[in-house]
Amino acid sequence: MSAPDARASAGRRLTVFLLARKSTLAGLALFAVVTLAAAFAPVLSPYDPLEQDLNRVLLPPAWADGGSAAHPLGTDPLGRDLASRMLWGARLSLLISVASVLLGGGLGFIVGIVTGYFGGWLDAVLMRIGDVQLAFPFVLLAIAVLGVSPERTPAQLIGVLGLTTWIVYARVVRSRVLSEREKDYVRAARALGASSARVLLRYVLPNVWQVAPVIGMLYLGFFVIVESLLSFLALGLTPPTPSWGSILADGRQFMMVTPWMPIFPGLAILLTVLSINLVADGMADYFDPKLMKGYAPRHPLPPRMAIASDKVLAVRDLTTVFRLGAGVLTAVNRVSFELGSGQVLGIVGESGSGKSVLALSIIQLLDAPGAVTEGEIVFLGKDLARVSNAEMTGLRGRRIGMIFQNAGSSLNPVLTVGYQLVETLRQHLRLNSEAARTKAREALEMVGIGDPDRVLRAYPFQLSGGMQQRVMIALAMSVQPALLIADEPTTALDVTTQAQLLERLDELRRELGTSVIFITHDIALLADFADVVMVMYAGQVCEIGPRGRVIREPRHPYTQGLLNSVSRVRAPGTNRLSAIPGDPPDPMHPSTGCPFAPRCAYAMAVCREVNPARTGVGPGHEAACHLLTSTPEAVAGGGTS
Amino acid sequence: MAFLEVRDLRKYFPVRRGLLGRTVGWIRAVDGVSLTLDEGETLGLVGESGCGKSTLVQTILFLERPTSGEIRFLDRRVTERDVRELRRRIQVVFQDPYTSLPPRMRVADIVADPLRIHGHADEATITAKVRALLQEVGLPWDRRHQYPFQFSGGQRQRIGIARALAIDPSLVLADEAVSALDVSVQAQILNLFRDLQERHHLTYIFVSHDLGVVRYMSRRIAVMYVGKIVELAPSEDLSARPLHPYTRALLSAVPSLERRRERIRLRGEPPKPTDPPSGCAFHPRCPIAQAICARDVPELREWLPGRYAACHFALAEGPGADAAAPRTAQGGAP
Repeated sequence: MSAPDARASAGRRLTVFLLARKSTLAGLALFAVVTLAAAFAPVLSPYDPLEQDLNRVLLPPAWADGGSAAHPLGTDPLGRDLASRMLWGARLSLLISVASVLLGGGLGFIVGIVTGYFGGWLDAVLMRIGDVQLAFPFVLLAIAVLGVSPERTPAQLIGVLGLTTWIVYARVVRSRVLSEREKDYVRAARALGASSARVLLRYVLPNVWQVAPVIGMLYLGFFVIVESLLSFLALGLTPPTPSWGSILADGRQFMMVTPWMPIFPGLAILLTVLSINLVADGMADYFDPKLMKGYAPRHPLPPRMAIASDKVLAVRDLTTVFRLGAGVLTAVNRVSFELGSGQVLGIVGESGSGKSVLALSIIQLLDAPGAVTEGEIVFLGKDLARVSNAEMTGLRGRRIGMIFQNAGSSLNPVLTVGYQLVETLRQHLRLNSEAARTKAREALEMVGIGDPDRVLRAYPFQLSGGMQQRVMIALAMSVQPALLIADEPTTALDVTTQAQLLERLDELRRELGTSVIFITHDIALLADFADVVMVMYAGQVCEIGPRGRVIREPRHPYTQGLLNSVSRVRAPGTNRLSAIPGDPPDPMHPSTGCPFAPRCAYAMAVCREVNPARTGVGPGHEAACHLLTSTPEAVAGGGTS
Repeated sequence: MAFLEVRDLRKYFPVRRGLLGRTVGWIRAVDGVSLTLDEGETLGLVGESGCGKSTLVQTILFLERPTSGEIRFLDRRVTERDVRELRRRIQVVFQDPYTSLPPRMRVADIVADPLRIHGHADEATITAKVRALLQEVGLPWDRRHQYPFQFSGGQRQRIGIARALAIDPSLVLADEAVSALDVSVQAQILNLFRDLQERHHLTYIFVSHDLGVVRYMSRRIAVMYVGKIVELAPSEDLSARPLHPYTRALLSAVPSLERRRERIRLRGEPPKPTDPPSGCAFHPRCPIAQAICARDVPELREWLPGRYAACHFALAEGPGADAAAPRTAQGGAP
């Protein structure tokens, strides 16, 4: 992709975004109308907005009784044309609001950048001034400045509005700079010897400026209201300068005679502010797409007769897709496996292999826009893809437990460990609080916590990562679930802690007879632990079989490559690692044929066209590879390429 | 002549409490580290999270100002004034390929910026150099106008390496440079580091929590625990017969495809750096600790030729002293 392409793709992104967000589009259109009206007010106005005609005061609008086409919106108490005054009012209102936003935003932005990056006494002083200003009542200030001057110009208004709002920009920008400053890319720039100015302008600035226009847009709408309000209170521009606020004030005075008059400025203010806010809303989402992530309720698949199974869990042809704006992403593709009572299934795969989505599909906790579209998940005779939401809620946490990589974010930060444990036990096991408390203490002892009483009283942040994960395991295992799903539970931990925790988890599941699905990117972790190993690649199962067979006699080239890279790096005295070439597949652009073919040293013509099916290669051992079904000649021919 | 020498380096961070930010204690992130590095060698630095290995790297580059101690580069003491020159000779590759690249800069600019910073003004020269660098780390030239998010983790780390090499440094500090990558990609990047070392005669400090990675890359390995180096030895010796009980525990905790070995189970967790234990910081978890360990801080001593350990009982046969017998590779090609 070349530079113009990158720019074109940015343009395309904006188009796609706007087409998907009708409200932003409507806001933009409306705002454009107001802006054009304001810009061309001198041309569009039929009259001079200040021109009085005392013979034609308080004329009604053209469509009402007694109105004339010469004054489409009628006239005001001094016989001035209302349409012209509305247009000029828009011009001044927008001019003052935009200029105030630029003044306040510009000042605040610079202050935020400087204080955030350099800190020190300047930061302390400026932020304290801002605090005082925020506490000071705005109206008082407006009266103090505007009320005393006999002739109020737009510049004075801009000054008051702009200078009182810089602190809001400054604070937000400052906090963004503070968080960016600590990131590795800024450190890297400093390590390269870049000057402070360069780090600030070239590295920090491009990643923080986006907040300013969003705040500016919100303030723009606010200023349109405030400007009218000040005019209404006779603190705005000096009469006879046209302003929506002064038209409103006139309208109030003659409300009994001309009830239509306040409606015009009222509507103008409403529509202008609405359009600005719609645009601001769209801008915020455009700059930070994470905010748009929605939540979609779970929809069970239509019921059908599940195939009976004596296993704890039988998954057949499970398929999970994510429907994204750019297309449909198949994260889990026809995955099948069975898990017996008390067995451990180890699932290994790299990032993007679909192993975590598989786990979330089983426990039915997929985030929007992901959904199970096909297959069965038969857990103790019930198909989890088809049970009702209420039934699923009853199973989750009770019969199926789950622990995640980041235990710290899985625990509620504002409740003590004891509270969370006791509540879980009371809810699931219907214990009274006394019994639940005793059981909670036992649960912590069970996962090897020596001083359970201290941990019960602690908040999650007071515990180390290893301790938090122990608490999570205690939480999940204390209700003796039939199935525990552990998704990379030790990846964030140090190796010595990992070793302790795995050993404990293994003892515990043996004691309680729990079946376990253990998900990891490190196949070596499964060597001690798993009964069955399942290797996933690009959402598919490429190999599954008893641990000993998969680890010692891997049949799929990807499994072989994975084992090679793991074992060699850990064996002392290795000369050179045999790496799998290339990168993991991009799930947005799946290839036809076998997904591993582009990286496979043995790929044949057929591999690029046909996705291989799973074939048996030994007792309970299956792999999906054309090498296993092809004739030896074809293999020999392909292996040399 | 030592290429890089670190003498009794310390970096303490104040712990502040209360409204006035009173200093109530110190985190001794790096607590008296001494190291010597020969030109062209790779020193591995291994330790668990919070042991101070990353702070040590940052302090060597003056990204953190040392509290005390001395850094000598080519036999000259480095001070704050030499920082710019130092950063031309020493470069870092960071851990996280997702946060270590400026997200809104194009690849060509990311790699070119170091050249511009150090005054290579001629754009034609810069373009030629960027082209050579991208080729060297295995990135296609026609993707130079893309942004970091358009690349995979492994490719991003290649960009980070190209950036570090742009100004021809002689020492590269790799701070957990492959930890965030998938295993199949890790091997590619480790091989790339080795190739580049050979081609450019680079010296490396290779920092990782993964003993396997460090062992593959390094001739000598230093093991850190709570701000101090507890063992320093040639790679093979460290693997075959570790002298410090912490090294033994670390070795036995590395996951392996082999059958279960006798694991050394450590008690408890690493101490808080604000409140390190008395004497030897490892003694509360150590399987062979004696009374003296809680009292006296052991010095890093040369117990056997070229082999240093900070343990009162370095030569004692502790449990699991032979836990790390060499293992062989698994899984052959079909």
